[in-house]
Amino acid sequence: MRLGIAYRMHFRYSETVTESQNEVRVRPLHDDHQRVLAYRLISRPRLEVLSVSDYWGTTVEHLGIRIPHNELELVAESTVETSSRAEPAEPVEVAALTDSDFKTSHLEFLSASQHVHWEGGNALSQRAGSAVAGASSVQDMVRAVMADVRGVLTYRQGATDIGTTLTELLDGGAGVCQDFAHLAAGMLRSVGVPVRYVSGYLFAADETAPDTETADVVSVQTHAWIEAALPGWGWWALDPTNGGAVGERHVVIGRGRDYGDVPPVRGAFTGSGTAEVDAEVVIGRQFDGQASTPAGEPEPPRAVVTTPAAPNWRHQQSQQQQ
Amino acid sequence: MVDLLPEQGSGLLDRYQPGGAFDEAFDADGAVRGPYRRIVERFRELDIDEVKRLENLVADEFRRQGITFTVYSEEEGTERIWPMDLFPRIIAAAEWDELSRGLSQRVAAMNCFLADLYNGGGQAIADGVVPRWLVVSSQGFERNAVGIRVPHSAHCNIAGIDVVRAADGRYRVLEDNLRSPSGISYVIENRAAMAKACSWLFYDHPVEPTEQYGRMLRSTLESMAPDGRDSPHIVVLTPGIFNSAYFEHAFLARSMGVELVEGRDLVVDDHTVYSRTIEGLVKVDVIYRRIDDDFLDPVAFRPDSTLGVPGLLGALRAGTVTVCNAMGNGVVDDKAVYPYVPELIRYYLGAEPIIDNVTTYTMWDPDQRAEALARLDQLVAKPVGESGGYGVLIGPHATEQELDQARATIEAEPRDWIVQELVHLSTLPSFAEDRLEPRHLDLRPFVLTGERTQVFPGGLTRVAMRRGSLIVNSSQGGGSKDTWVLAPETP
Repeated sequence: MRLGIAYRMHFRYSETVTESQNEVRVRPLHDDHQRVLAYRLISRPRLEVLSVSDYWGTTVEHLGIRIPHNELELVAESTVETSSRAEPAEPVEVAALTDSDFKTSHLEFLSASQHVHWEGGNALSQRAGSAVAGASSVQDMVRAVMADVRGVLTYRQGATDIGTTLTELLDGGAGVCQDFAHLAAGMLRSVGVPVRYVSGYLFAADETAPDTETADVVSVQTHAWIEAALPGWGWWALDPTNGGAVGERHVVIGRGRDYGDVPPVRGAFTGSGTAEVDAEVVIGRQFDGQASTPAGEPEPPRAVVTTPAAPNWRHQQSQQQQ
Repeated sequence: MVDLLPEQGSGLLDRYQPGGAFDEAFDADGAVRGPYRRIVERFRELDIDEVKRLENLVADEFRRQGITFTVYSEEEGTERIWPMDLFPRIIAAAEWDELSRGLSQRVAAMNCFLADLYNGGGQAIADGVVPRWLVVSSQGFERNAVGIRVPHSAHCNIAGIDVVRAADGRYRVLEDNLRSPSGISYVIENRAAMAKACSWLFYDHPVEPTEQYGRMLRSTLESMAPDGRDSPHIVVLTPGIFNSAYFEHAFLARSMGVELVEGRDLVVDDHTVYSRTIEGLVKVDVIYRRIDDDFLDPVAFRPDSTLGVPGLLGALRAGTVTVCNAMGNGVVDDKAVYPYVPELIRYYLGAEPIIDNVTTYTMWDPDQRAEALARLDQLVAKPVGESGGYGVLIGPHATEQELDQARATIEAEPRDWIVQELVHLSTLPSFAEDRLEPRHLDLRPFVLTGERTQVFPGGLTRVAMRRGSLIVNSSQGGGSKDTWVLAPETP
């Protein structure tokens, strides 16, 4: 499936800002499952962009601005050709998870991380333990946790922020795609299934039900899902927010231990004012003969996120809302 | 030559009885060792009133210069005048030569490992020298440092290697400090105070000078400028006056003749770092930073940090500036990686280690763990992520309850601990009330690496203040000694 993606980030400040420094991770990954046909990052005001590949293989772009400004707009335009992903056919035995080579080679994705934290015996690990009890394969364990996450969490924007812990999430019972992915990752890791957090784009008007018929162009937010390691098979991609499979409508930006390794936007600016960050993704399906640019006018922006920061420097980052 | 101890001179060394440890000044028969012959004679000519007068002179000198240190564990009176014992440590030329070659070798291997991890794809991991899981589970492994170019592959420009001398008289490395080792300013100030108060002690001793440290450090940092830039602009980046080592940061900036800055004095524009000066913005090439990795750039690391420079990571990735020491050196400071250093020396340098490690048991190995925990009462347990002696359990000094608690803690988190044989640190005569008594000590030499490697002569000798104590850390109430390296005799 060929998709044209435009990710618009619009920072508006209540007072003039003299300096801001940002790093963005919005460029789709180029790999076996998706080919990036075109990509560019445009900024207003115009800024020098430094583009590097980080430890996780994600493209990170650094942008700094040192002239007084009241707003900053970034637009990342991509054209990506995606293909479907294989599903594991044979059941993988649960016992294979305890293989010491498998465990040590997947240690980074089995351990607690900044946003995926639990302790033995706490509510999360107990919940995960009961959810997977009786599972006869690793796939069953993963499916059981996916179902459990969908049972305990209701999709609701504004219920959480970037600092919400998994315990708070379980208590609150609502969140966005980032929370679904973190909770699924924590529960699976706590029972010994390695999980990667994936940041990306989803071509669907309703992130909780991507299979429903969609228009040719949708206006959404960045998305997050997970990949679970199946011993002897590989990484199995799943979308906890809708409980479904990951396919041609999912476009990977990057993978890491959790949100903290692949935040789409992270930055800081000087001054005493506040920032409004409007971020949205416009995705359109493209057909042969069509130009490689995203179509459609964006809907009114959503998602206002400001996080408290150190004196003088204020921080801006966007939650993965979908 | 047999030099009988008592019944000579003023009596400061009467009844001096080295214990079971190696004594630096006297051999097992009570004879004075060669390098100490003259200094022992001179101390025998001193009486205690003269010693007290000299001690006051030294303390006044430190007070006047504001040379203090901070003890964090105490509720009050945390600023203390730096304690220096008058009886110096003396290292003969040949002994220093071997020790410094061993230190250069060790730092070279650790630099190879850091360059391999952050810019070389991890060959040592691929070849099974160090397990990958150990590296990726290290708090000190900094993923943001991967791919950042480091001139001369010199990731550690300033290393402080803690060495001890065991009962067999051989030096061993106890701990590596490759992040922000402190203490060099005390080395230089100790010498200055010693030279001022008791210059006559130096007579007839060809002591290697210490005042060249600023020049050595400056040339090392200059060689770290990106693209081999001439006359690079260097700054010292400090967390500020509330940091326990602020005095040292100011001292080093002054002795190099460069600016001392805080994060707010630096600014990033177009992925280039500038210093705000009265003449406007001046491009910065090398930052000798004394703040931790996590605080360097609040955009990429801790948003709550005000100490760093927003955008610095981007500048590092652009290769327009060098930070010294490089980011991510903490992976080698991780005590769980320490047991692998001798093997890293063999792997990268194809040579046998000149200085050995202290025998160390890795707690994630079930056999080693069982063996070590069974005789924990004779061993030392150390948390892998701490430094400065914090959290260390000394088996022979611990209660049964403390030992049991430590065993449970180690069983629960074996990755977080190492257990070592107890090293009976060497001793040296040190002042206790009115006479000299043996006190245990260690040594932190400093190794500078840029385009080339230099070992600064001597280092910081830390000494336990109480009889029998093995805790030498100044943060835990230890003292210090001036450290003399004797120049080779001219033929």
